[in-house]
Amino acid sequence: MSITLDQVTKRYQGVPVVNDVSIDIGDGEFFVLLGPSGSGKSTLLRAVAGLTGVDHGRISLHGRDVTHVPAQKRDVGLVFQNYALFRHMTVADNIEFALRVRRVRASARRERRRELLRLVALEGMDERLPAQLSGGQQQRVAVARALAHKPEVLLLDEPFGALDAKIREELRRTIRQVQRELGITTVLVTHDQEEAFALADRIGVMNLGRLLEIGRPDELYTRPATRFVATFLGAANLLLARQTKNGLRFGTLGAEGGADGSVADVPQGAREQEVVAVIRPEEIELAPARRALVCSYLAAGVVEEVAFTGALERLRIRLSAGAAEAELSRAANGNGDGLLEVTRSQHEQRAFGVTPGQSVAIGVRRIHVLPTPLSSFTAYAATLAQATELSLHPLLAELASRMRTRVSTRTADEHAAITGAAVIAAEPEAVAKIEWLLKEGVEEVLVLPQGAGPPQRVLIHWADDAARGATLAVAASLLRHVAAEGVYVGILPTSTPDGQRPHSMRALLDARSEAQAVHGLEMRTELRFGDVAEELARRLAESPDQILILGISQLTGLGARFGALLRPEARSPVLIVHRAADLRT
Amino acid sequence: MASRPYALLDEVATRPGRDTAVSAVVRWTFITLSMVFLAALLFAPLATVIAMALAKGLGAYFATFLDPDTRAAIRLTLITALVVVPINTVFGFAAGWSIAKFEFKGKSFLITLIDLPLAVSPVISGMIYVLLFGLQGWFGRYLQDHNISIIFALPGIILATMFVTFPYVARELIPLMQQLGNDEEEAAITLGAGGWLTFFRVTLPKVRWGLLYGIILCNARAMGEFGAVSVVSGHIRGLTNTMPLHIEILYNEYNFVGAFAVASLLMLLALATLVVKTLVERTGYRRR
Repeated sequence: MSITLDQVTKRYQGVPVVNDVSIDIGDGEFFVLLGPSGSGKSTLLRAVAGLTGVDHGRISLHGRDVTHVPAQKRDVGLVFQNYALFRHMTVADNIEFALRVRRVRASARRERRRELLRLVALEGMDERLPAQLSGGQQQRVAVARALAHKPEVLLLDEPFGALDAKIREELRRTIRQVQRELGITTVLVTHDQEEAFALADRIGVMNLGRLLEIGRPDELYTRPATRFVATFLGAANLLLARQTKNGLRFGTLGAEGGADGSVADVPQGAREQEVVAVIRPEEIELAPARRALVCSYLAAGVVEEVAFTGALERLRIRLSAGAAEAELSRAANGNGDGLLEVTRSQHEQRAFGVTPGQSVAIGVRRIHVLPTPLSSFTAYAATLAQATELSLHPLLAELASRMRTRVSTRTADEHAAITGAAVIAAEPEAVAKIEWLLKEGVEEVLVLPQGAGPPQRVLIHWADDAARGATLAVAASLLRHVAAEGVYVGILPTSTPDGQRPHSMRALLDARSEAQAVHGLEMRTELRFGDVAEELARRLAESPDQILILGISQLTGLGARFGALLRPEARSPVLIVHRAADLRT
Repeated sequence: MASRPYALLDEVATRPGRDTAVSAVVRWTFITLSMVFLAALLFAPLATVIAMALAKGLGAYFATFLDPDTRAAIRLTLITALVVVPINTVFGFAAGWSIAKFEFKGKSFLITLIDLPLAVSPVISGMIYVLLFGLQGWFGRYLQDHNISIIFALPGIILATMFVTFPYVARELIPLMQQLGNDEEEAAITLGAGGWLTFFRVTLPKVRWGLLYGIILCNARAMGEFGAVSVVSGHIRGLTNTMPLHIEILYNEYNFVGAFAVASLLMLLALATLVVKTLVERTGYRRR
């Protein structure tokens, strides 16, 4: 491995900007770190270069641990977004800088310089000053300068950010070519998914300081595991669906058993539940009537908008009543209109032309189901006013917007089944409500005290081992959407005999590696001794911005065991994950 | 038709940057005004200085500089500048660096402190040192016991001058360093350069014009400072008189030729400084 990052964490004023990131980058690999601004990708790159220290974790280059090695001894080449050429030196002096530092003979320096200038196609520019070059040329010089001392890895921090589209593409090709020619391990940071697709062998997508997913560009595009990656890499329609034995059902009415299992990547043998489905705009087919569709029927709809964009036609389609319920509110995306996005090729346009206002049948060629346990939220309260108030709770609204999902409301007198995770207020009867909801088949209940804010730390604990897998899955899903650190709190009774303690430690470490292997979730672990509820309450009291994810598999004695954590005066939200033990096998 | 002049004004107002008769008039009015103002306030006094210095011929003019007291004053001024400017350059660089590159507690307080000498009257700056080191001052007794003289001696003059001139280098460097950022230094470090090498090969060349400009301003002020030095020097002829102080003494003795001759020398130093500054600015801005 060329670059190995192991649980790297960097905090600024206590807030993690890089949160438990582990990556292995192979020899000669072109790795792209992709993420929106503020996702921590640049900080991570600077940490690899040694310009930023890390608070936790280890960084090694070619097997050499460099976590505490200063930047000038790391032997990396770094290219900055704004070139950072030495403005008072000529191109030649700039490129030779690293060699001069290493006291290389003048003739050897000249030779290397000529070689590098040829590599970046800037022959004859030796005596120019940076100010006399165009932006693209300056960045080429910067690349040559970063390669002069034959570094082990090349790091590029948004190298095309300040360039216009044409130059950008040209330089992109040059960099790919140089990288191939030298076979140098390269990490590039960008917020541009097109750039990532064009360059990467593998892409790592970051958001809120966390590395969400790593994979080949095509893998990540077709099979994203998270909502964020699905919508950040290209356009995606996110729909809520009911996964049944016969396939997926969209919406509550009308669209019955539409897309069958054959078009969707559905985990085999999964139980019936609400899921989030990803449909790429180009996987949608339009036809005048359901019979005329070649692929599986999804729903009927009305064309709202048609835009010509050259090679592709971009449409927005309003789903008919019933099916529209499936559409996730995308207010978070800035287009909270609940329209289905469709792109069609010239060929498809010629076969069936549409105009705004036209009714069409919608079919899907391919559906990808996200393996996320938290599909949507339902605020549950005695009256509609209370339910609405609860659904507007700042933390819930924030979570829903980050997870790109919706919050619906339910009152006690409605009889429709609750889908997704239920949300209730922290109140004296909370325990009774939770018991009722769990008996109704709800699997996750979020108990929200008034005034709880976005968490800085997510505490994870399961009271019964049967709930372990589900708890980890929910925790992973939540941690992907909040800038918080995950901490698994293992608690042993004080009476644990000494002989059994190593065994318990083992269980703790197993939990950590399971989280990492199955869910890509990095978390810290803590071991405490005492009564479970008391220790959790004590841990929660340590700082206000925490949330507890509590996994249980038995309903009996819930109030007696954990009632104290769910009372109105508790300050921290608690997310209860329930999986009955007998259903697991 | 009555609205015609207004239409013209409207046009000027709505289309700035366009040449019209009105804008030409406005332009020349402003240029003439500032030229006349400068002539009255700057050139006239300068011309007077030269005229008065040469009123009794070149012989009398040069005779002034043969006077040992005058020579001592010139020497003292040069020594003061020679000590003060390098110290303030180092301090200004350190202050500029720390303010531009680091976040720390009390940063805005430090910036305010650096500006203090510009806000405080120079006379008061001098008084501070008298209060500290004078016979009746806080450290007066201790200094007397150990036979150290600060007030009415060279150290006092240097201290007072330093106090008055320390903002110049720092104030010149802070905005420049903030604007240029850290990228070049970081690039140098990733290329394998150590701290000193990065400083001398990258940082210093990067800010050299701003630094030079700050040094020039600092030097001009150090040589010309009157108020603060006047309070701490004691006006001992041939010993603690700097050039500005010496000029005053000569003037008070009705030795107009002598006073203006020394003044012309000081003026010449200032002019030379300004010429260097202009040259630096020209090359500096072209290279930047």
